[in-house]
Amino acid sequence: MTERDGFSANAHRYLDGEPFEALEGGEFANADRLVAEAREYAERLPTLDPALDEVVMASVRSRAGARRRSGFAWLLAPRTVRVRPVWGGVLAAAAALVLWLAPRTPAPVVQAAPAARPAADTVYVRFELTDRAARTVSVAGTFNGWRVGALAMSRDSTGLWSATAALPVGEHRYEFVVDGTRWIPDPTAHAEVDDGFGGRNSVIVVGPKGLVRS
Amino acid sequence: MRIIRAVLAGAAVLAAPTLLAAQNADVQARLEARGLPAALARGVATIAAGASARGVPDQPLADKAIEGWAKRVPAERILGAVRHFADEMARARQAVTAAGVESPSGAVIAAAAEAMRSGMRTEQVRSVVQAAAAGDVAAPGLSVAAALKAQGLGGEEAVRIVVGAMRNHESMAQLLDLPSIARAMHDEGLSPGDIEHRMLDGSDGGDHDGWRSGDRGSRPSNVPPSTGHDHFQGRMTRLR
Repeated sequence: MTERDGFSANAHRYLDGEPFEALEGGEFANADRLVAEAREYAERLPTLDPALDEVVMASVRSRAGARRRSGFAWLLAPRTVRVRPVWGGVLAAAAALVLWLAPRTPAPVVQAAPAARPAADTVYVRFELTDRAARTVSVAGTFNGWRVGALAMSRDSTGLWSATAALPVGEHRYEFVVDGTRWIPDPTAHAEVDDGFGGRNSVIVVGPKGLVRS
Repeated sequence: MRIIRAVLAGAAVLAAPTLLAAQNADVQARLEARGLPAALARGVATIAAGASARGVPDQPLADKAIEGWAKRVPAERILGAVRHFADEMARARQAVTAAGVESPSGAVIAAAAEAMRSGMRTEQVRSVVQAAAAGDVAAPGLSVAAALKAQGLGGEEAVRIVVGAMRNHESMAQLLDLPSIARAMHDEGLSPGDIEHRMLDGSDGGDHDGWRSGDRGSRPSNVPPSTGHDHFQGRMTRLR
């Protein structure tokens, strides 16, 4: 409603319940008549059912559910399942029967890893060897069950082979294995000892602080 | 009471072969799992069973056989080396028990055997074992003494250094650091005699030239001052 409807801006403020200045002549009366007509109209409107909100929302939910019902959504939607208690016993008996009839296979034998020790006293040790002609180099020793290739070293462009291993603190014996067959001791180890087979094992004693090398 | 004792003794006698046979089977199974031929595995297991009957641990013998097999040593030489190692451990066990340890652990026996192989005498092994306040320190103590000797130090001096550390109640960490510290001194250019001197100073409570680094001594000069990691820099070092 604007001034073109016959009301001034001041009358609009009055109708809107806002602060207003004095209205002219019959504007007050016109405005009051308009308000009275509006109230009368509102009273003639049919009364809405108090349950209408609930009916509308139920319809909305049901339409939204219908869109999700396909595929996985149906499985994920929560729902109430009613089961007679007697079926619980039947299902338990069926499960027991299935378990009893299932083929029994022996548990696989797991070979314990050699030298498995608590990780708390473990120190990372880096092994290095320079051999430009070698094709592969690995470290085999008491800490990996003397498995050739278990601790493979990687080569850089200068021919320096290196590998890092987590070793428990304590004494370890080892050798480098070049090309899978040639066993050579580490010239920078703490010591070399007779290996009992005519060769020499390198010895390192790893403390919690690590090792020192030149 | 006598009857009960007799029954228990009889049960022990009857059970012993069963236990040995079980150990024998364990060793053989372990060796075969690592790819050793059945005949070789059986031979090693038989030696191990005999060693067990003498109170010698059998797993170090299995380890030695695996080492030999990995190095492609002929089976006969592997058996010879295992038999020899069993005898060494039997002698080491005697040395350890002579030090007052009635039932030494397999780790102590193996460490003593390795120490004696590196040239340590029976009485030196006994000294280290007796100085160890607890049994679990004896094995690393023997290993450290053997490593120091293998690094060129005299056997008597190596034992004195280790025994001194133990009597000063140094920690296991400090004990295990000794070979690294000796190596650092060697790399610094010190002779084995100088290293002995400096380490003995440290183990005897010296205040500046010894190996002690924590609160009383100083580290070798090529070791950086504390960097927050407290480790030595070098070609092989602790990375964390």
